Amino acid sequence: MIRSSKTWQAVAFTAVAGLALSACGTTDTDGGGGSAGGDDCNFKIGVMGALSGANASIVLPSVDGADLALRQWDNDECEVELVKFDTEGDPAKATPVATQIAGDESFIGVIGGAFSGETRATKSIYNDAGVTMVSQSATATDLTQEDQVEVFHRLVPYDDYQGAAIAKYLTDEVGATKVFVVDNSEAYGEPLADRVEETLGDKMVQRDKTEVGQTDFAPTISKMESAQPDAIMYGGYIAEAAPLLKQIRDAGIDAPFVGGDGLYGADFGNAVGEAGEGAVVMCPCAPIEDDSTFAADFEEEFGSAPGAYAAEGYDAMSVFLAALDDGARDRASVEEFVDGYTGEGLSKEVAFDENGDVPQENVSYWAYKNEGGTLVPEVEVAP
Amino acid sequence: MDFDALISGLDRHTLDGITRGSIYALVALGYTMVYGVMKLINFAHSEVFMVGTWAVLGTYTAIGATAGMGVGMVIAATLLALLAAMLASAGTALAVERIAYRPLRKKGAPPLIFLITGIGCSIVLVETFGQVLRVIFGPPFGRVTVNIPSVLETTTLFEIGGLNITNTRLLIIVGAIAMMFALDTFVNKSRLGRGVRAVAQDPDTASLMGVNQERVIMLVFVLGGAMAGVAALLYSIQYDITKFDIGFFIGLKAFTAAVLGGIGNLRGALVGGLFLGIAEVYASIIWSSEWTNVTAFVVLVIILMFRPTGLLGESLGKARA
Amino acid sequence: MSQITSALRIGDRWDHAPKAVRWVALLLLVAFAYYLPYLNILPFAYVRTDLTSSGSDWASVLFLVVVYMIVAVGLNVVIGLAGLLDLGYVGFYALGAYSIALFGSPSSPVTQLIADRFGLSEGWAVPFAFCIPIAILMALVAGVILGAPTLRLRGDYLAIVTLGFGEIIRITARNVDGVTGGAAGITNVPTPPGPEIDGRAFFNTIDAERWYWLALTILILIIFLARRLENSRVGRAWLAIREDEDAAAVMGVAGFKFKLWAFAIGASLGGLAGLLFGSKQQYVEPNAFMVQLSFLFVAMVVIGGSGNIVGALLGAFLLTYLPERFREFVDWRPFAFGVAMVAVMVLRPQGLVPSRRRAREFEDRKQEAEEAAADV
Repeated sequence: MIRSSKTWQAVAFTAVAGLALSACGTTDTDGGGGSAGGDDCNFKIGVMGALSGANASIVLPSVDGADLALRQWDNDECEVELVKFDTEGDPAKATPVATQIAGDESFIGVIGGAFSGETRATKSIYNDAGVTMVSQSATATDLTQEDQVEVFHRLVPYDDYQGAAIAKYLTDEVGATKVFVVDNSEAYGEPLADRVEETLGDKMVQRDKTEVGQTDFAPTISKMESAQPDAIMYGGYIAEAAPLLKQIRDAGIDAPFVGGDGLYGADFGNAVGEAGEGAVVMCPCAPIEDDSTFAADFEEEFGSAPGAYAAEGYDAMSVFLAALDDGARDRASVEEFVDGYTGEGLSKEVAFDENGDVPQENVSYWAYKNEGGTLVPEVEVAP
Repeated sequence: MDFDALISGLDRHTLDGITRGSIYALVALGYTMVYGVMKLINFAHSEVFMVGTWAVLGTYTAIGATAGMGVGMVIAATLLALLAAMLASAGTALAVERIAYRPLRKKGAPPLIFLITGIGCSIVLVETFGQVLRVIFGPPFGRVTVNIPSVLETTTLFEIGGLNITNTRLLIIVGAIAMMFALDTFVNKSRLGRGVRAVAQDPDTASLMGVNQERVIMLVFVLGGAMAGVAALLYSIQYDITKFDIGFFIGLKAFTAAVLGGIGNLRGALVGGLFLGIAEVYASIIWSSEWTNVTAFVVLVIILMFRPTGLLGESLGKARA
Repeated sequence: MSQITSALRIGDRWDHAPKAVRWVALLLLVAFAYYLPYLNILPFAYVRTDLTSSGSDWASVLFLVVVYMIVAVGLNVVIGLAGLLDLGYVGFYALGAYSIALFGSPSSPVTQLIADRFGLSEGWAVPFAFCIPIAILMALVAGVILGAPTLRLRGDYLAIVTLGFGEIIRITARNVDGVTGGAAGITNVPTPPGPEIDGRAFFNTIDAERWYWLALTILILIIFLARRLENSRVGRAWLAIREDEDAAAVMGVAGFKFKLWAFAIGASLGGLAGLLFGSKQQYVEPNAFMVQLSFLFVAMVVIGGSGNIVGALLGAFLLTYLPERFREFVDWRPFAFGVAMVAVMVLRPQGLVPSRRRAREFEDRKQEAEEAAADV
């Protein structure tokens, strides 16, 4: 074993030498290079959300929308790259991403977070680094109403107002007096249903909670049968709404079914099938006007009709690009520009109040009816 | 806490529980058969079920079956879908055994390793439908929920004491129980079944007696897979959807049901499945569905504290005809 | 075969190396680990996760790796040493994270209730230092509460019961809005105290390498303790129980007591890891603790080589690091992950770095299996 101890000495020596050397010569590999500075306008904009996983279909159209806005942008001076970060919607996976964006000065802004959980987990990181966020779809009320941060803005109204709009649709358009409210017990569905319940008051007949991943809703159905509702409101996602609707209709309950924007998306019709005929989805997104070329352009670029929040994604990118057009060349000036921004967007008249929300009067709520598998705009609702 | 609602509609809720439990029980059979023979939890079994639901969708699409067809066509389409689901699920189960378990058995690996390859296979199967097939073929594959046409439309057949018995409900309960008895009879009466019981009881002695252990193991996977295929068809009829990750929750519940009834025991799977289904529905009525899973697991812990090997006790080998 | 023996040979050489050499090598390794966030010399820099513009922050990834390493060391005590299959380890991890959130965050319902009850000023919360024992204690108590009625169950029953326990913790945290903040979770989770640098707290959201160093220090301490434990009387008792519980009982080793010990120790390490995670994240929500995470933890221990701390560390490293390093493959990663899991286990069922005892046991069993096959 004497020989062996010599090997060890050699190994130890090499290791020491290696470490010592490494302290001297370092190469710059930080953040993939591309440090922005001076007058050259060479920036990145991040987009952060669930690009893979079960909920990707709610996020991907908005990323494509942002991409489209960038491709259509006309500016000779600046070079902008849209960098996509997949978080799977998981806050734990979103924090390293946020730290990465925060640490790379060439990022002047971020579109997102797409979901409320990851936004909650990362907004203080972005705030510390001064990176402006414009979210296309995070609707949790507390994001702008509690623990406010300077840098957070969003293009969608928060759950409280959505809940009020849904309740208004139920009472005014449907004429319901006995609404059965169901939610999915998650951070998205529960507060929305809470707000609907609050606004409906005694026009709500019963409330039931279900779970994500559930397919058998027999207990909920039997509660409905005894409650005899004249409308049903569901706060949750498509995966559970589809079997729920099927079982409601199978049980012979034909009360109108109204869902929140968690159901809004091109795949709603594919998931609910026959049972979903006539189901209504409420969304704070105005139908894209016929004379706009957006839908056609989108379809040409990505091969499918613009889905959930595609217009919001487009608008979010447009806000950042307008900042660059205006001459903003660092994070602070972008933040200043976005705070004071007003402009006509695809989804709405874009402006941000002191909390980072779009002013109420700029937002329009629309009820979309599922007809033959596609969501057709039915009526605008003012909460 | 709404005990009144439970008591006043007890018959209805029990029926709901039995319907839910029937599907658990069918999937639980796959866990229990494999466990009985190999003392191994087949974690990929949930995905065996998932593949079956896609086979149902595939069959309907291939023959162009939709809602509102004539009675003859409905029966033909349903039987065809049943066959396809059973074949697809049995084939998947066999493939999992071949790829993930057999090489380990040859090396005499400890049970923990089988668990990890099982989980690995489960991820691979889920991603095959969520990602690989989507990239190759596009929709309907992918990570979104897909509708399966209601070929068999729900109608009320008759009423018993104010309870509407629909055709789908009847089919699920009767179908599940009939399959269960067929399997039970097969294992207890047939020659092949005797082989299964022999290997379950004592693999070494069984092989001395001329039972081909490898073939018995393959048979067990095929039978368990076929039962998952039946469950997949009944599930499609009842809920009308499939998705790349639907197997997970059903698998979790079915596994719980198998343990509850006594894992390794065929009748235990039936009893455990029905018991779990009923307990879940009752809990959802008393509180709400958000507490369903907590109730299921609390019930499991309590039962196991008093009966450490489940309601009916384990062992496929000792199950007497 | 040759792989196994070569792994053994390195281990043997290590054992036979002079003590001084071992110390120097260890110190170098530790120094290198602390230096990792700044690793920037080519070609070694290719290990970094932030090379492409869509990468993720290298120090943050390292932090997560180390937190999962703590988890793996804790779970290794339960699975690798005592041989108990725990599929609900995420429950303890969640308890740790929730302890610091519930008691340390001024916006949690619990601290608000305490502050109201005792007339404390608004924004009052339990200081960070006191949250550590609370977290460890809560996880430990939960471990005992779960273990006491269930450890008498045989292996596979234990698996499903622990799995259920993990789900119970998560769902309860989600449903009891008045205590845990419900599905929305708890924000303002405190960070460890430290001097202010450049107007920012020492442990802030930007400088992730400080978090990494903190976690690494804790990990080294835990590895040291775990090694001592492994070679203690308790460690030998676990070994005896794992190999043959009945024989151990005959020899006077009280199986239940030692199993409960393993469970409690494993649980408290899980709680500690959860605390670090929650504090770094500054935000805790129930969906971060899905049951799939438990499977991932078990996979770390088994793929690395259960029963061996080095193996568990390697498993935790690979399963956390590789998906982050290859972010550019976006949604192909889970598929590759599953394929790799099956492939690695089929090719190396004993794990990547098995403990020497395990490797020998494994060779025996393999021979037995071959002989049995030849007999038929």
